[in-house]
Order: sequence, then structure tokens, then C-alpha cells
Amino acid sequence: MTDASLPTGGAKPQSGSLTTVDARTKKRNAAEKRFRAYGVAAISTGILFLIVLLFSIVTSGIGAFQQTFITVPVYLDEAKLDKKGNRNIDDIKKVSTFGYNPLIQKAVLKSVQDAGIETPLTKSKQMKALISASAAGQVRAAVIDNPALIGQTVEFKFLASSRVDGYLKDRVKREHLARDKNIDAEHLDIVDGLQDAGVLAKTFNPAFIFGADASESRAEQAGIGVAMLGSLFMMFVVLFLALPLGVAASIYLEEFAPKNRLTDLIEVNISNLAAVPSIVFGILGLAVFIQFMHLPQSAPLVGGLVLTLMTLPTIIISTRASLKSVPPSIRDAALGVGASKMQSVFHHVLPLAAPGILTGTIIGLAQALGETAPLLLIGMVGYIASNAPDGIASGLLDPNSAMPAQIYEWAKRADPAYYERAWGGIIILLVFLISMNTLAVILRRRFERRW
Amino acid sequence: MSVKLTASALAIAAVAATSAAARDQVQVAGSSTVLPYASIVAEAFGENFDFPTPVVESGGSSAGLKRFCQGVGTEHTDVANASRKIRDKEIKACAENGVTDIIEVRIGYDGIVFASQLNGPEYVAFTQSDIFNALAPKVMVDGKLVDNPHKKWSDFNADLPAEDILAFIPGTKHGTREVFEEKVVAAGCEATGAFEAMMAAGMSEDDAEDACLEVMSDGRAVDIDGDYTETLASIDANANGIGVFGLAFYENNTDKLKVATMAGVEPSTETISTGEYPVSRPLFFYVKKAHIGVIPGLKEYAEFFISDEIAGGDGPLAEYGLVSDPALVETQDAVAAEKTMGGDS
Amino acid sequence: MPVIWLCVIVLAISIVGFIFGRQRALSSAGGDARNLHSLPNYYGWNVFMKVVAPAFGLMIVWLIAQPLVVQNSISGMIPETEIKEGSSIGLVMAEVRRTADGLNNAVAAGVISQDLSNDPGADVEALTASLKEAGQVVTSTITQPILLAAQAYRTMTNTGSLILAALVLLVSLGAAGFAVRQADKDYKARNVVEQGVLALLMAAASVAILTTIGIVLSLVFNTAEFFRLYPAADFFTLLEWAPSFSGRGGASKLGILPLLWGTIYISIIALLVAVPIGLFAAVYLSEYATPRVRGIAKPLLEILAGIPTIVYGLFALLTIGPLLVSVFGEDGAGWMSGGRAVMTAGIAMGIMLIPFVSSLSDDIINAVPQAMRDGSYGLGATQSETIKQVILPAALPGIVGAILLAASRAIGETMIVVMGAGAAARLSLNPFEAMTTVTAKIVSQLTGDSDFASPEALVAFALGISLFVLTLGLNVFALYIVRKYREQYE
Repeated sequence: MTDASLPTGGAKPQSGSLTTVDARTKKRNAAEKRFRAYGVAAISTGILFLIVLLFSIVTSGIGAFQQTFITVPVYLDEAKLDKKGNRNIDDIKKVSTFGYNPLIQKAVLKSVQDAGIETPLTKSKQMKALISASAAGQVRAAVIDNPALIGQTVEFKFLASSRVDGYLKDRVKREHLARDKNIDAEHLDIVDGLQDAGVLAKTFNPAFIFGADASESRAEQAGIGVAMLGSLFMMFVVLFLALPLGVAASIYLEEFAPKNRLTDLIEVNISNLAAVPSIVFGILGLAVFIQFMHLPQSAPLVGGLVLTLMTLPTIIISTRASLKSVPPSIRDAALGVGASKMQSVFHHVLPLAAPGILTGTIIGLAQALGETAPLLLIGMVGYIASNAPDGIASGLLDPNSAMPAQIYEWAKRADPAYYERAWGGIIILLVFLISMNTLAVILRRRFERRW
Repeated sequence: MSVKLTASALAIAAVAATSAAARDQVQVAGSSTVLPYASIVAEAFGENFDFPTPVVESGGSSAGLKRFCQGVGTEHTDVANASRKIRDKEIKACAENGVTDIIEVRIGYDGIVFASQLNGPEYVAFTQSDIFNALAPKVMVDGKLVDNPHKKWSDFNADLPAEDILAFIPGTKHGTREVFEEKVVAAGCEATGAFEAMMAAGMSEDDAEDACLEVMSDGRAVDIDGDYTETLASIDANANGIGVFGLAFYENNTDKLKVATMAGVEPSTETISTGEYPVSRPLFFYVKKAHIGVIPGLKEYAEFFISDEIAGGDGPLAEYGLVSDPALVETQDAVAAEKTMGGDS
Repeated sequence: MPVIWLCVIVLAISIVGFIFGRQRALSSAGGDARNLHSLPNYYGWNVFMKVVAPAFGLMIVWLIAQPLVVQNSISGMIPETEIKEGSSIGLVMAEVRRTADGLNNAVAAGVISQDLSNDPGADVEALTASLKEAGQVVTSTITQPILLAAQAYRTMTNTGSLILAALVLLVSLGAAGFAVRQADKDYKARNVVEQGVLALLMAAASVAILTTIGIVLSLVFNTAEFFRLYPAADFFTLLEWAPSFSGRGGASKLGILPLLWGTIYISIIALLVAVPIGLFAAVYLSEYATPRVRGIAKPLLEILAGIPTIVYGLFALLTIGPLLVSVFGEDGAGWMSGGRAVMTAGIAMGIMLIPFVSSLSDDIINAVPQAMRDGSYGLGATQSETIKQVILPAALPGIVGAILLAASRAIGETMIVVMGAGAAARLSLNPFEAMTTVTAKIVSQLTGDSDFASPEALVAFALGISLFVLTLGLNVFALYIVRKYREQYE
């Protein structure tokens, strides 16, 4: 500090006018400008990275929000679906989805012919490539729901297969068809014709946001909704456990802990836990919560507990930093008017530190929300998020996945349509993160202060 | 705050006390190679039966079998998927935890193919010897065993393009690596005569076999510990690379990849099921017999998995790329009779 | 009586106690709170605390001890002949427990009657059948001794629960009475309650220790097994990492050093990216930026922390890698042969860490008192001189803390490494070569297809515990440094 404020040349009186800028001042001002420029450059670099990342995410993922549908009237043949004709629900259930496929394929072929499309494909079986494998399940569920439909012609809106969808989204190109055994050029001719006839159209697909996961062969049906609920329940667990535990631990360490071995031990432990790779928490979760405490596998409750332990150090470290930043004068003033130590902390220091605590909690939650590795070991990665939970208990205990785990899973799958969905899932995840951040910013802006 | 803490602790205690008994869906864990097939079956199972859709976790054959072998009871998994046969040590570990009656189910075969960038160099035909010559640390040149001098594919086979050797092979954690080593590298080792040369140089048979499986670690063979998508991304970034893929993965990505024949045979479900295409391996799942009748739908799931409609020649599994097992009927009978490993039921 | 109901009753008693305690204190002061030693609510909390603590304490101890006691006395009942070859007493006990649980559930579901479940002479085969029917896990047919043991197990457990319920109720009522009587205007309720709260805070802080113990316990047994199969000396000194597939004898070379080197190298590069950018960003945000710029830029940067690591992994592989290859690859400087390299992963990881450094440093710089800035300006220092020579030194311990947090994330990060740096373990100084880290190998060995009892799979646990010990050492050191130079300003 001294060399900055004292002229280096000793006590020589300054020559020249006070209003002209001398060389040293120029140098100092230049240094000032440079320093500022570094700051601006740093922030711009950071934001540039962000923009590049967001741009690539959005361009790769936006397609997942649209899906191709085919609207077809299906004749529900009594001879196939209810051979005895008595509308007995148990007999109807005996017809599996494989029994429904021919009806649907026949219906599609009829639509193609009605639309006046000329095609060498005249067998109904050849229509299979156009329709999602989920169609049969859809019809079967409708029939079981209402057996009276049997014998009628009912209009259904089916998902098109992922290849057809990919064709409409420019992912499947005609020049590669010769090598693709899933779909032929003739099929694409039909698709073009159906699109002109208005039977087939690409529309917004809410099922992607609210639906459940689907198997490898039905990329078109997969949604992230159930995994989203899984993440939501996990975040509840983390918030309700990590925030109070973290704040309590920080208060103790920052305000009350005597300087002794035990305190040192706890401090080292906490900073060490922040460095433990997240997968190790997965090992811990598997051993303690599932094998020792017998909590159910794949349950968001266990995931939440593991993530709680994982985020706790982050929350404690940042909470302590913000407790530390409350000046001692506040504590002294409170003690001076007769408050106890405990009261000074809970009534004065804690509220003043709240914005910082919030920042830390949000960073911790964001970390937890995007974490995949520990979930791998407690069984939350795979084909799991296929049943939507009903109610809070079921949400916490029934097997579920989480958004990042679902994205990770999709990114691994073979069908390129899943690649698009993985990026689409990332968009949704980011929407959550950004809204969490915005909330934090609003709160922080109201309370932030400088001492 | 104290109230909140106690309440949450209580909730956990209560949950822990009540949850152990209640589980109504089949729980499956294991190989990520089997996962696609298992998920297709689980989905169809959920659609066609009144049982809830089974939960299929990934995480590798090792982790799947480990959890499978941890004990009997609803807190343990019912089915383990594996891309290899269960090992004797694992069976023993299972038995130590009370998991004695295990039903082994072979669902079919997985073909392993070599593919490269669609518009990349003309890698269209390989033999095991080519792969061995490209990747092994010691190869035969002019009848002598020398340190691998090859830099380009054309150095040892004029039919191959003059491109730098670069192969993305499965990492040592993958079951695929074992198949790659045994059915390709070791076969190449024997075919080129390197194996005999090693034996002649005074190596014991075991040492020579081990040496035959080695690949060079100078960067031309890149281990991929992730999944095929990662291999695909690597191929995307390196036009001169070849990658090792599962047949199903390749068939889903024909717009980016072109496949090479192995020893003159084009990989397809047909050539693999007849055994013409040499690089394939069986896939399995293992069922805990003690859980049959306890976990609703477990036996139905196992039977459904290998039913003709699902695992047969034109079922959804074959359509996805599984090579169906010619001996499917025997497997069906074994599952129906709940025949456990070790013979007597 | 289920535990949950017991808890509810204890809570109800404590709430009633709260009200009585508060009222009794107030009335002892003649209804005027000013005459009390503490605020009225403290008297209520005093009662609440004194009811809840012993009741739940007793409950927890009992619930842990009871199974042990029951187990001990039951295992004496099982004759030697029941323990088959290849089996153990533990397995038979597990069967007994399952049978007992099965009986309980079957009775609860109404499949078998209470009398039948308690009948020692019941037909074991029929019972097995009906248990299986009721959806209970029974490995094989129950034998007579196991049935007897299971019935004894049930009786003891049920009696135990009854005694527990009675004891807990007694204790909580007694404690409530005692604590309510304490409520008097001269009683130092606040001090007592604050002691209790302090104990609670301390308990929260020790969760960290419990977690550590849990981690060590869940790693240590498998690690011991690994070292039984694989020499520890090789693990720590071998300069090569080359696991073979487990089908093939003991040819694996599992040395940790190349992995550690990869971890450290990648972390250093990540920090070289993140620390300058993050620190300058933090300085600019807290000292120069207008509130508007700050209000926009800071949350934007924080989004970087929230992007899932798998996205960074893909970004590294598909964007950074090819970019680096085009500059440093064969067409350029010729140092780089493939897209996967220490640099690729390091840069991606660095981007991810920017907000960790910037946000936390920003908070810490903000916490430096304005008076110090004013003093520096008063002496004629420019803003940058003030920052460099006054603010940064003052904030240094905190900033070091933030950087350490970032370093911790870097060491523990997995996904980016797996995708960006490759899976090859190598000891090299060239940052454009592929390397791998300890964490990446933990994941790959744990989620692989190798035999789970083989050293190739168990090595993951040894790696985990080594990393754990290493970071522990680093943290002890960091704590020492921070504490030595920590200053507090007013």
C-alpha cells in the first residue's frame, strides 16, 4: 500500500503544473484501465461460454418438443378382439398387444389407399414401419377401458415411428435409406402423401414434458415427466434436510464451537466431504440406506438422502462464509443490550447472513439437481421412470429416476431420436435451474448489503 | 427447527419400519448391453399384464450380479442381467448369502461389429489378422516376431486404405472387450502364426495366450469406458478411426456408420445365428428362484421375456438387433420348470 | 403399537407440556412476563425439550438394542443340525427373521389366524405353502426348529414393543410432570433451552463425522478384500494401470500413480482456466460493475454451475476436442493426436468451475469493509491499486477457501473426464495426451462387467479410500494455512 501512495522518488517536490498529467499518473491510469479490461474480458469469456453452450443445447434439443402424429380410424374387429362375443373383460384382456397390431396396420393401409397415394407397398404388414410400437398398447388400453368400442370404427391419434418423425425433422435423410433396415424410400413417399392429405402432422408434444420413459425401441413415446417428479421429490428431501442441518452445523462451527480437537476434526471432515467424489456417496448410500436401513431401492427418498449428504458440505461452507461476513459489531451490539449469545445469533446474525446462505443453498441444490453418478449405484439409472407416482408416499418410495439420470440414460441409447430427447431434457432441466436462480436473485437483491 | 428435524427423523424411521415388506414390481439390475432388450420386454409386459411395469436398472453385469447375490428378500433384486455367464466365484458368493437357487436364462446372442464413419476411408473388409497386425505390440513380419512396425493399415494389407491406424475399442470394464480379445485379437494371433512363434521363442502356453491378447497402448487403440454413443462420438471426431459396436447400435445408426465384414462375412442377425459371423456372445439373465411366487409377476416376466412373441425370430427383440437363440424352446421349458443351475431343480 | 403412533403420542404430550409449562411460569410471576427470568416461551420449550429428548433417546436405544438381544437368545435355540453345510448361523437367523416377518404379515393380511401362527405344533409344510401364497419370502420349506425359533422371535419382539411403548409413555409423562413443576419465575429456563439448542447444533455439525465414518465403513471391507487378492505395494508403487479382463488370470497391473497424476494434472489445468477468469469476474462484479450489470452477469455466470456435467462432457468431446486438434494437432503444432486429452477435459472443467470461484469470491470481496476501501482511496490509490493491495489481501483466506472448493469439485468430477480425457492411464507431461483420473476409474470399474469378487472390480474401493485419504491430507493442510492467515476486520 505504501509504495502505491508515496512518490517513489523520495520527498522531491513535484515540478510542473498540477493539472497536466505526469508520466507516472498516466501509467497508473493505464494500469487501472487494463485491470478493468481484464475484468470485462473475464466476464465476457464466461458469458461467451454460456452462450455457446446454451446455443448448442437449444439447437440440438428444441426438436424434442414436437412430434409426428398419424390420425387413423381403426375398425375394432370383434372376431379378433373378443372371440366369444360376450364382452367379458377377462377374455378381452387375453388378447395381447400382438393381437392388436394387424388391426392397426390394416387401418393405416386403408388410410393410405383412401388418401389416393400410389405405392408398391400393398400389404398391411408393410405399414408397421410407419407407426410407433406404442399404438397397439394405446388401442388395447382404450378397449379394456370401454369394451363397448369393440365392433366400431374409432379414430385414434397414433405416434409415428421415430424414423418417420426423424424424416420430418430432417434427421433421417433419403440418401441413407438404402442402408437402413427400419424404413424404406417407399415409406417416405407414403409419409409425404399422408402429410399432404393431412392425416400425418408434426405438432407440439406435451407427452415429452409430462410423460413417462419408454423402452429403447420407442423413442417417440418417451417423456421426462415422471423423472421430473422424481427430481422434485428428491429436491424436497434435500431442502428439508440439508438446509436446516447445514445452517445448524454452520452456526455451531462459526459461533459456538470451542477451539479444540473435536472442532478441528469436524472442520476437516466437512472440507474433505466436499472433495469426496460423488460416486463414493453412492457407495455410502447403497451400504447405509439400502442394505443397512432397508429403504427401498431406486426410491427418490434414498436419492434425496444421498444428495443431502453430498450437498451438505457445500451448504455449510458457503453458510459459514456468509456468517463470517456479518461484522462483529452486530453481535457486540446485540450482546450489549442484553441478548444472550444464542439470541444474538438467531435474531441478528442469521437474518443478516440469510442472502449468502441462500446463494450457497441454491448452488448446492443446483449441484444436487444435476448429479448423476451417485444415483447410478442406488438404482435410479436405467429403465425406471415408467410408472407415475400417486401421492406423496408413493412419490418418495416408489422406484423413480431423476432428470439428469434420465438424460444420461437417453444419451446412451442407440436410436438417434433419443439423442435429441436427451438435449430436450437438458433444456427442461435448465429451465428449472434458471428459474431457481432467478428466484435467488430476486431474494438476494432485496437483502444484499455491504458493510 | 428442532421440530422440523425430529419430524424428518421420525418420517425416515417410520418409512424404514414399514417399507421393507412392500414391493409389488419386479426389480431387475445389471448389464447395460442387456438393458435395451430388458426395457423393451418390461414395457410390453407392463402393457399386457396387470402387474406394474418392472424396474430395469443399468450399472453393469458386475454390479447387477453383486446386488443379486446380496441375499434373499424383498430388499434385494429379483433378476440380474448379464452380458457374460455368471462365474463360479460369484455363484459361491451368492451361496454364502443364501442365494442358492438361481435360474439361468439365455436370451440370445449379441453381435459385435466393426464400423467406421460413413464417408470416411474405405474400411469395408477386415480379418482377425488385420486387427491383430494393426493393434498387437508384437506381430509377424516376414516370418519373424518383431515389435509392431505398422503405422498405416496398408502397411500390412494392400487392400486396406493408407490411413493411420486408429481403433476405438471397448475398455477393460466391458464384457465386449473379452469377446474382442478372444474372438478377434487372439484369433488373429493364431492365424498370423504369432502364437506359434511366441511358443517357439520359449514362452509357456499360458504366457503366449496372454501375450496374444495384448493391444498396444501408444494411442492407436483407444479404450472407451463409456457406451457405444461415446464410441460413435469418437468416430465422428476422427474420420480415420474404426470403432467396435454392438449390432443393434450399428443398425440404429446406419446414417452415420458403415460396417466392415469380418473374414468376409457381413454381420447380420442371420449370419450370427448360423455362426458364420465369428464375433458374437450370448446374453443372459438370472432369476432368484426364492422370489418366484413372492414378487408378483416375476415368473410371468421371465416367461414373457423368452416367449416366441418377444424373443422369437420376428419379435421386437430380434427387430431391435438381438440374435435369437436357436435353442429358445429348451430355454422356455427350463424356465417353465424353474430349473436351477447345477441340474437338480 | 407401531412406532409412528408412539412418536405422535410423545409429541402430543410434549405440546401439552409446552402449554402447561408456559402457563405455570406466567402464573408464578403473577401474569406479568417482566417478573420472569426468561421469556415465557422458553418455559414452554424447556418442557417440550425435556419430554422429547429422553423419550426419543430411549426409543432409539431400545430399537437398536432389542434386535441384538432377541437375536442372541434365539440363536441359542437353533440346533447345530439346522446349520447345513455351506450355510452359517447368520443365514439361518435371516431365515428365522423372514419366517417371523412372513407370519406377521400373513396374520395382518388375514391369510392365517393368530392362533395358527403361534401354534408350535402347526404343520410346517402347510404353513410354508400358505406363507408363500400370502406373498411372503420363504427360501425353502420351513423346518420345525426354525418355526419354533420364528415363533419365539415373534413373541419376544412383540413383548419388547409392548414394554417399549409402556416405558416411553411413562418416561415422557414423568418428564413432562417434572419439567412443568420446574417452571417458576426464578427458573433459568432460557439457559437450559439454549444448552439444548446448542447440543442440537453440535449434533448437526457431527453429521459430517458420521458421514465420514459411514464412507470409511462402506469402503474399508472391500478394500481389505482387495489387498488380500492384490499386493498393496504394487498398488501404491506400480507406474502402470492395465487391468486385464478378469477372465484371464492375474495379469492385471493396477498401479494408482498414473491415475493420481491424471487427476492432479487435469485439476491444475481446470484451475488455471477457472481461477483467473473467476477471480477477475468476481473483482469486476463486486468493485466496478454497476448494480444493473452485476444483477445480470452474476446469475448468468451461476447458470454455468448448474449445467449438468454430462453436457460439459459432450461439449468437451464434440467442440473443444476438435478445436484443439485443429490448432495443436498434426496440421498445426503437431503435439496432439486425438481429441481426447488432458487439455480438453481441463478446459471444459475449468468453464464449469468459473462460477464456483466467481460467486464465492464475490461474496467474500463484498464482505471486506467499505472503510478499508475509503482509507485507500483517501491516500490517493486508484481503484485497481486498492483492489490489488488492500482488498485482495484482506479477502485472501476466503478466496483460497473458494479455490479449494473449486479444486475439490475438480478432483471429484467424473463425467467430463470420462468423455473428454479418455480412459487411458498414462504418466506423461504432455497436456495434449489422453489421461484418466481416479474417479473415472472408480466409476468404470464399479459399473463394468468384470467378476465382482475379482481385484479388477474391488480396486474401485481401494481407489476410493486412497482418494479419500489424499483429500483429507490436503484439507488438513489447507485448514492450517487458512487458519494461520485468517484475519477479521471491523
